[in-house]
Amino acid sequence: MNEPWVKSSGDLVESLVAEVARLGGLAEAQIADCVDAVTRRDVPLAQAVVARDVKLDALQADIERRAIDLIATRQPTGRALRRSVAALKIAMNLERCGDLARNIAKRSLVLSESEPLTPLTRSIERMGRLVAGRLKEVLDAYTAGELDKATGVWVRDEEVDEHYNSLFRELLTYMMGDPRTIAPGAHLLFIAKNLERIGDHATNIAEIIHFEITGDVMSGERPKWDSLQRRSDTLKEEG
Amino acid sequence: MAERERPAFAEMVESLPDPVLVVAAQDPDDSAGRRLVFANAAARELLRIQAQGGPLVSAIRHPRVLEAVDESLFGGANGEAAWETGGAQDRFWRVLTRPLETAPDGARLALVVLRDETDSRRNERMRADFLANASHELRTPLASLTGFIETLRGHARDDAVARERFLGVMAAQAARMARLIDDLMSLSRIELNEHIAPEGRLDVVLVVLDVIDALAPLAAERGVKLSPKLVERGVATITGDRDQILQVAQNLIDNAAKYSPAGGVVEIEVKAGLTAEAAIAVSRPGAARLSLLSPDLVGGERFVALKVTDHGPGIAREHLPRLSERFYRVEGQKSGERLGTGLGLAIVKHIINRHRGGLAIESVEGQGTTFTAYLPQL
Ligand SMILES: Nc1ncnc2c1ncn2[C@@H]1O[C@H](COP(=O)(O)OP(=O)(O)OP(=O)(O)O)[C@@H](O)[C@H]1O
Ligand SMILES: [Mg+2]
Repeated sequence: MNEPWVKSSGDLVESLVAEVARLGGLAEAQIADCVDAVTRRDVPLAQAVVARDVKLDALQADIERRAIDLIATRQPTGRALRRSVAALKIAMNLERCGDLARNIAKRSLVLSESEPLTPLTRSIERMGRLVAGRLKEVLDAYTAGELDKATGVWVRDEEVDEHYNSLFRELLTYMMGDPRTIAPGAHLLFIAKNLERIGDHATNIAEIIHFEITGDVMSGERPKWDSLQRRSDTLKEEG
Repeated sequence: MAERERPAFAEMVESLPDPVLVVAAQDPDDSAGRRLVFANAAARELLRIQAQGGPLVSAIRHPRVLEAVDESLFGGANGEAAWETGGAQDRFWRVLTRPLETAPDGARLALVVLRDETDSRRNERMRADFLANASHELRTPLASLTGFIETLRGHARDDAVARERFLGVMAAQAARMARLIDDLMSLSRIELNEHIAPEGRLDVVLVVLDVIDALAPLAAERGVKLSPKLVERGVATITGDRDQILQVAQNLIDNAAKYSPAGGVVEIEVKAGLTAEAAIAVSRPGAARLSLLSPDLVGGERFVALKVTDHGPGIAREHLPRLSERFYRVEGQKSGERLGTGLGLAIVKHIINRHRGGLAIESVEGQGTTFTAYLPQL
């Protein structure tokens, strides 16, 4: 095989893309595992998720370094430039997903110390599946270079919000009905919020893919389910 | 066997039903350098591989699978990992990896075989779920039957009026238990086949007309009018299992009628040629809405939509995500004389998922509900 310094820029871009896909796989696994940790009250699994997060950070830093290096030394243009920039940006979004998964895992550790709120954890599981599915679709679209698939994810952006809204209401009803559920309920609320934000990152990635393939920024209205009363965005996450 | 009659190995592997891959790599630190040098037809279909020689990570990126592959490439050992594809049609695979002899150019090679464990995983879970559900849900009616039997043996023994009344209640409970078992069996069967695409061909309009005919007497009894607005025959054709689509229409229309006030109207609409977006476009402004199921989209699909609208009590937003959960019934809602099993919408959702369709709900408390089921059009 060729030594790195004789690699063509095309090869370098492709290996960047492959690393992003690998980071995507790591992020997906972290998300699946942190949701399992919540629903199964699995302490060792939650600890493993927390511990594995450094891998994602390191890989993202590596991708960033390589992308910047590539852009600076090879000065790619057109699609190759967009592909390098996209790799850099997608990696940042994936690394954030990893942080959110770690955060969920940490909260699951606290939750496992209180009484289970079974119906609510089921709602979390459902939302987790939805969000994981979106990330999967968008990463499939990325590795296959399928614009339509990415657009499909972008268009259905509101679905996660709807689930979050319902869960928010459900939780509120619970917490008002039984003060003992307030503390675990609050953790579940933040977990739901984190999942929602993972969904937002999937949407961002869909936009980046669109830019990478077409060179245009996505335009047009998403089908807003505008009748939804927007929830108050007073929830602040401490990260 | 004569030499010329023996099929070539490549050809044999190509037509194996299990996905088979060969991965080549030179450098353990170069993840893009792990390339798919061979993928048989089953692998190409499952992993949507377009060209040979592409990087492994663009086909499979799960870290546990990648580790197992590395184990064989660079560790010279057999590897194994469980892998779930995720998405609406979730499938479970066991991934087995084996080291192969190093290629003449020095590349390390590994064989990767995927074994489909979806059926056994589903069977296992289904059996556990069925037992748990059946024993839990049958306990209440069974306890009440036992209670009545005791009363009939005891102080109601010589009271003819009480006896008649109790026997009536007992018959109703027994009927409910039978319904529960029917619904549970039906749900289990559907779930088992959920990942196998249906094969028949049908016209949704004809199916809906059949359901309307069947439910009309019951609706009339409740003073509810069924008002259809359907596209022409032959337009709303889909690939599907007729009995199952019938079950979908029947459950949605039955619910709408059941939760309609006397004198109410249930609007039943069938549309065709819709995009996924158009299928779930707002039809009740100001409603709480939620998509209970949405299909994986590749782009360019067209859908047939069945919309069932009632003017009943509606459903509060916080109940929406849980509606298709088994046995979930909105609390404090009176569902008339016939107590449902709470399995109807779970059945609907699984059938639609098997047909690669979607299900959305819009509801305004105090005004009514619209369910939209949409299915890929032929
Ligand atoms: N059109 C509707 N309007 C209001 N509530 C509804 C409507 N459809 C369903 N629901 C609510 O959703 C719950 C679940 O519905 P589902 O069809 O699964 O069960 P069910 O109607 O109670 O029983 P069955 O198994 O006999 O259909 C119902 O119990 C009811 O609370
Ligand atoms: Mg029903």
